[in-house]
Amino acid sequence: MKKYILLLLILPGLTLTGAFAQDDEKEDIPVRAPFESGYLIDNQTTQIPIEGTLEYVIQHKFGTMENGLSDVWGIYSPGANVRLGLNYVPVNNFQVGLGLTKKNMYTDLNAKWTILEQTRENTIPLAVALYGSLAIDGRNENTFGTGKVWHSGEGTKEFDIVFSDRFSYFSQLIVGRKFTHWLSLQAGASFTHYNMVGSVYDHDKIGLHFNGRIRFSMQSSFIFNYDVPLKIKSISEQREWVDHPKPNLAFGVEISTSTHAFQIYMGTADGIIPQDIMMWNQNDWTDNGLAIGFTITRLWNF
Amino acid sequence: MKREIRFLTYPLIILATGLFLVAFTLPQDKEYGGEWDIPEEYQNMENPYTGDKSLDRVGKMLYTKHCKSCHGSKGEGDGPKAASMSVKIRDLASDEVQEQSDGVLYYQSIIGRDDMPNYEKKIPVEEDRWAVINYIRSLKEK
Repeated sequence: MKKYILLLLILPGLTLTGAFAQDDEKEDIPVRAPFESGYLIDNQTTQIPIEGTLEYVIQHKFGTMENGLSDVWGIYSPGANVRLGLNYVPVNNFQVGLGLTKKNMYTDLNAKWTILEQTRENTIPLAVALYGSLAIDGRNENTFGTGKVWHSGEGTKEFDIVFSDRFSYFSQLIVGRKFTHWLSLQAGASFTHYNMVGSVYDHDKIGLHFNGRIRFSMQSSFIFNYDVPLKIKSISEQREWVDHPKPNLAFGVEISTSTHAFQIYMGTADGIIPQDIMMWNQNDWTDNGLAIGFTITRLWNF
Repeated sequence: MKREIRFLTYPLIILATGLFLVAFTLPQDKEYGGEWDIPEEYQNMENPYTGDKSLDRVGKMLYTKHCKSCHGSKGEGDGPKAASMSVKIRDLASDEVQEQSDGVLYYQSIIGRDDMPNYEKKIPVEEDRWAVINYIRSLKEK
């Protein structure tokens, strides 16, 4: 645990050390796009398009690559997941969105607020954003077995499953910095909560996130993300760690144009919405858990 | 089964021949768009970043991202999306483009008309817009 706290303390410090590496500019205005889109594989970036922009996003993950040629490295495997989403920017630096994901038929409502934008003259050396997502498990009622649940702290008394039991939440603080025109990095901390989980699981999970892009041509970048759900005894309801979620590692390439960003990557998590990744990812990148995925975004300005 | 679809043979041959011939009869030569109506304020607009070498990379990057798909990598109007335009695209390195003032180029590039989209929202910062104009100027030498 200590090493994670140390990491959390060091990361913002690291980002500050490059504070004087920027070019001198006359006016202190926000830096040119630190990222090509609001998405970075499974994470959000501090980037929000200009006011009045509508964004359509397709996120797709194939099955794991473990079966090799027999299902063409997961591309034709049945374990695929897909999310279709829409985002809108009503005012600058604030975005609202909704999406529908195949896994658990999650409907998610989300919002992102970029509180601070890094500026060209370093008056503000970092970008800071808040991201929140509420997801509703949309599977049929018979998926939940008897339709009865226990409430934490109320013994074995059974209650009917109600609508709010389907809710899960994810909130995240993102800190990012564009170091040079080719390097942008972000670190984040998040809190995930599920209203209803199986009796051997926890309702809450705290996680850390680290991601970035390394631009290697005018339109292309290498991108990566790493998400770690932390083992924190004090917020766990269990005596032992049963199926603690595995870290999510993903890396790939991003190509962007005026209105599109296209990301293709290999990653571990089969979930797409962040609370699912932080709570339920059991794929392990050290053990054949990688799968191919892609994201396509399309922007319209109004 | 063979007998059942045989009746399709002649219609398909005629259709394929027809499509082949149509390829030669559709107009291939598009025309340039008409004269631009440039407001006076743009005609006399000064470029505050003329010769600013620090913007070279920015201009190239923005051109690659926003302009290249139609105007082509050297500005010759031969980008992959150029074919779907209803008008022919002028060579940005040509004299008729380069003879215009920076302000006129600014209006044509950023404000636009018809097939040439408006970029005020995609390139919101003034400095970045002039970086694109400077890059278009540099195409002359390439």
